[in-house]
Amino acid sequence: MNPKPLLLALTASALASCAVTKAPTAAASAAKSKSGAPKAVLNDAAAKTDELDDYGTGTTVSDPLEKVNRATFWVNDGLYTVLFRPLAKGYEKAFPKFLRTGIDNVFDNAKYPVRVVNCVLQGKFDRAGHETKKFALNTFAGVGGLVRISDKVVDTADIPAEDSGQTFGVWGIPHGPYIVLPLIGPSSARDFVGLAGDYAMNPANYGLYFHDKNGNHDWMYIPPSANTLRSMPGQMKTYDELRKDAVDPYLAVRDAYIQQRNEAVKK
Amino acid sequence: MTKRTFLAAPLLALLTAGLHAAPADEAMSRLRGAVNEVLGIATKASSKSTLAVSVTPVLRKHISFETMTRRAVGPGWNSFKPDEKAKATQLFSSLVVRTYANKFTPGEQPRVDYKTATSPAAGRVDVPTTLLYQGSRYSVTYRMEQAGGWLITDVVIEGVSMIANYRSQLDSVFKKGGAPAVLTSLQQSVSKQS
Repeated sequence: MNPKPLLLALTASALASCAVTKAPTAAASAAKSKSGAPKAVLNDAAAKTDELDDYGTGTTVSDPLEKVNRATFWVNDGLYTVLFRPLAKGYEKAFPKFLRTGIDNVFDNAKYPVRVVNCVLQGKFDRAGHETKKFALNTFAGVGGLVRISDKVVDTADIPAEDSGQTFGVWGIPHGPYIVLPLIGPSSARDFVGLAGDYAMNPANYGLYFHDKNGNHDWMYIPPSANTLRSMPGQMKTYDELRKDAVDPYLAVRDAYIQQRNEAVKK
Repeated sequence: MTKRTFLAAPLLALLTAGLHAAPADEAMSRLRGAVNEVLGIATKASSKSTLAVSVTPVLRKHISFETMTRRAVGPGWNSFKPDEKAKATQLFSSLVVRTYANKFTPGEQPRVDYKTATSPAAGRVDVPTTLLYQGSRYSVTYRMEQAGGWLITDVVIEGVSMIANYRSQLDSVFKKGGAPAVLTSLQQSVSKQS
């Protein structure tokens, strides 16, 4: 195994173990507000605007690195504008829609080990079976995954995709501090470790484990690079939709990320 | 158990089930009507801007913008003056309409599959749906509440509640600068080019 993912996993694991502090309560965060700010929110009842209001205070993850995270967020935002968005547009122009869909399907199908291993680790054996059926259908009937035949079959059409971060969540491991990763974007200490695990298990990256004796292994970058490029249009679209109508884009992305991940753990 | 109670028990159970099912059915029927109206407009629209204009009156009919704004602002809402509340509601409505309208590509027809609605509290019904759109599948849950008729009070897309998301932002703005800061932030967001 390439030592890099392992090192990544260990570093993030250490971070996660240091970061078990819960998200600050409404009272605590309100108490920190600048002078002249409105009265502090004292309890959960006070955080309600009416009887059916169950939204709480909106603080969903601890963010002790907020200053660094915000800086990374805006650097990423600039890089998305000058680099990612043009690349995504170029890719969309160069490849017709049906071909892009086929490429997406192949990479998604190849990610089967990530999903099935995490189904098993979470004790979801029925789901692991459905994932296996989906993989077999798409690989054999769908020409190596190009066509997603599984969409036409009831028990394989809508399987929630499991990953390592979700497995940690199911095991009761909290997010830890929120982290904005350079280029990649929003994550948490827990999900960062999970990301390393998923990266190692994804066949698109398997080439990175092999080196020939002459050190000539440039080919190994092709599948992971293609995977990154093909996912850019979708990721840029999601990011732009959130950012466009946000009051505070940093908080909008942080909250959406945490909400989405919490929901994924529940599924 | 007497014969009468033996017969009455299942009858009562049926009646109670009927009473519980009624709000969910009403809310679901209202939602289906609203979604069909919006999709009808989205299919016919020639551009995003015309779509936003045409869809606004329909959304105003089916969405409780006052509830949405109050909850998006959070606990700070109680210290807003009446004119500030009205202004915030007007600005937030514009933002919601734009956010919602931007999710559609004119001319494209999504497929919506409705799942079983639940009623987590009296006066509230959650309607989960699956949206098949441009080859992708999205889980979209509509939160509906009784306010002189069933109205939409939140849309949860892939587990992300629109109102909770705005609350995380506006609550933070309020804590820093109160109602004026919230109104300024909303104004800036509305003025941004979409």
